[in-house]
Amino acid sequence: MIYFDNAATTKPYDEVLELFAKLSKEQFGNSSSAHFYGRESSKKLEESREHILSLLGLNKTHKLVFESCASEANNSAIKGVAYHYANRGKRIITTEVEHPSVLNAFRALENEGYQVVYLPVNSDGVVEPKVLETSMTKDTILVSIMSVNNETGAIFPISKYADIVHKYPKCFFHVDATQSIGKVKMDYTKCDMLSFSSHKIGGLKGNGVLIMKKTMEITPLLDGGEQETGLRAGTVDLPGSVAMDLALTTTLKNLNANQTKAKEIKQYLREELSKIDEVVVNSPANSIPFILNISLLDHKASVVLEALSQKGICVSSVSACSSKGEPISYVLSAMGKDEVASRNSIRISLSHENTMEEAKEFISTFNNVLSTTVGREFVK
Amino acid sequence: MNYAYIMVHYGELSTKGGNKKLFINCLNRNIRHALSVDFPEAKVTSDRDHTYVEVGDYDVNDLVVRLQDVSGIQRITPVVKVEKDMKVIDETALELIKEEDGTSFKVKAKRADKQFPLDSFGIMREVSAHILRNHKLDVDLHNPEITLTVDIRDTHACISCHTYKGCGGYPLGMNGKAMMLLSGGIDSPVASYLLIRRGIKIETLHFAAPPYTSDAVIDKLTDIIKKLNVYQEDIKLNIVPFTELQLAIYEHVDEPYCITIMRRMMMRIATAVAKDHNCHGLATGESVGQVASQTLESMIAINDVTNYPIIRPLATVDKNDCIDIAKKIDTYEISIRPYEDCCTIFTPKKPKTKPRIKDCEWYESKWDWQSQVEACIKGVKSTFIKNGEIIYDGTNQEEN
Repeated sequence: MIYFDNAATTKPYDEVLELFAKLSKEQFGNSSSAHFYGRESSKKLEESREHILSLLGLNKTHKLVFESCASEANNSAIKGVAYHYANRGKRIITTEVEHPSVLNAFRALENEGYQVVYLPVNSDGVVEPKVLETSMTKDTILVSIMSVNNETGAIFPISKYADIVHKYPKCFFHVDATQSIGKVKMDYTKCDMLSFSSHKIGGLKGNGVLIMKKTMEITPLLDGGEQETGLRAGTVDLPGSVAMDLALTTTLKNLNANQTKAKEIKQYLREELSKIDEVVVNSPANSIPFILNISLLDHKASVVLEALSQKGICVSSVSACSSKGEPISYVLSAMGKDEVASRNSIRISLSHENTMEEAKEFISTFNNVLSTTVGREFVK
Repeated sequence: MNYAYIMVHYGELSTKGGNKKLFINCLNRNIRHALSVDFPEAKVTSDRDHTYVEVGDYDVNDLVVRLQDVSGIQRITPVVKVEKDMKVIDETALELIKEEDGTSFKVKAKRADKQFPLDSFGIMREVSAHILRNHKLDVDLHNPEITLTVDIRDTHACISCHTYKGCGGYPLGMNGKAMMLLSGGIDSPVASYLLIRRGIKIETLHFAAPPYTSDAVIDKLTDIIKKLNVYQEDIKLNIVPFTELQLAIYEHVDEPYCITIMRRMMMRIATAVAKDHNCHGLATGESVGQVASQTLESMIAINDVTNYPIIRPLATVDKNDCIDIAKKIDTYEISIRPYEDCCTIFTPKKPKTKPRIKDCEWYESKWDWQSQVEACIKGVKSTFIKNGEIIYDGTNQEEN
């Protein structure tokens, strides 16, 4: 198997799995329990909380809430601010290219009467800072922009956005950092809120975090117990959270080496794929080394995906094959790509585990698939 | 008082004359199979007119529900068996009716044993009188809330306050075996169910065109067949590797005729596989007029390539009725999963609704499809799915 779908999820590190199993067995106490066993769990959890914050240089200024995934963290952040600060204004801003967990949270708020601004992106798939600047108003209470796009890998200048947002003291800046954490070095200190998940950095599915300024308050999504200082009710997943700490530590420790390797592979893939007439590369020059997004102009992406899958290669496309209203990549559409390109994109996403040999095999299989399967316009 | 037996009334068997015994034996075998998983201790016996299931320690309602899915059963009646003595019958009837909710009742009686001293009317009168004397209920002959039945058999009497509809049809297997073309959509599982209910065993045949169709379809079909296992405990799934022939059709045939020619090829392959697998008919989920290939004119062109009967159980069924059945047999949610049985690459824009056989033959003279059809037949992979489990996975099969 060649696994090139690491932006969807990564294989957990062995040591992460071992730690998770060990803690699940030996440290199963509820971190909210008052007895010594619960207190031990609680201590471990707090250590990991502090450690994750300090890895990102945020331990002085920010607090961390353990949640179940980045989708939950995004919802907590966006709805939490929107509800809590509704008295300051009901204007909120995001972009056209966010992950559905952000986009649909904004749409839900729009239905509740909030005024939502969806910022357009340029042809690189990035929001120009001046576009944000002209959209800001005094009654804007929230701006949520991703740090790296999940489809194209495009890197967003979040520090610049933060500077713009912070000219308005009543507005908060949230960053969905799911695709940048552990993939690219970034300064998050200016963000009011930050969310990401564990399973994209070698951790386990079912863990995510919301990081926010210590001084901030939000309305929690769940009604329940007082876990996580009332910000996220429900028993905390101690083994998963501690394992996430280890996954992040390991990933950040190896970030430079991982980046160098991925850069080389991506460069090779980009060059080889560019040689194919029908391939258009969508990922801009300033994108993370782990994601390469292309479009096929002659073939259906879903057919190529299936053919690759049958040969043991995992990549992702926007859609499964479907005749009932084929999905279109709203990210690529927003970048100004035409319909064919937007409907037929393929995302290749790498991790530290991938090798140049795999990339070479991928290219030869990919060429083979294109030459042995019929194109989109087969039925004339 | 507990119902100790369940009396199974046969379906359309009364017309069967000398073959009746065969049908009853077949039905009993099917009932035993159906009960073997969840009710292994339930004993099944029968006489000329009914089959009896001993309830034992099982819940009588659970048994009824299971039996309702067995084809060839008209009605299912939980009964108390007693000796043919009017005193005993009166007392039992009274005891049974006391357990029922309702304010009005009616007694129905039947006398198979014509030697019994009272006739049906006499039994009704006596039992009703006994109930009226001892229990506060009114008689309502037109809309009773409780209907108590007394059935005088040769050796015993059966008394009951409940009867349930069975699924009708014939015992499965009595009407041979058909090769069902299963696409994975809403219709073909429903057609499969209707065939089974008619007593026709099915094997299923699917035409796969990877990579233009997703492998996920195979999982979908397997899940559908697991649902159909309730009605037929073992079903074979045969997969035809159709890609090459499919591509050749679209290469050689003009777009409006592609679907017709494709269906003709499918029928040729299905006929050969059916012969191979001892099936005596083909079946599809087609409904007249639903799509271009399902007009009567199209059916002439399609039927022309096979001398096997093509059964189309849904020929005149409306889509909404079909969906209702699909929901009832629990295949609907599986059928509407997003991936397609046939990729949009092979969806012609203007299919012919009135194809002519002559034109079909002309298109088919353009290339050597015979060898491709042969390859499809040879390449069939079979999987056997029994009681919800894959018994034999044909994907590991050696090429023959």
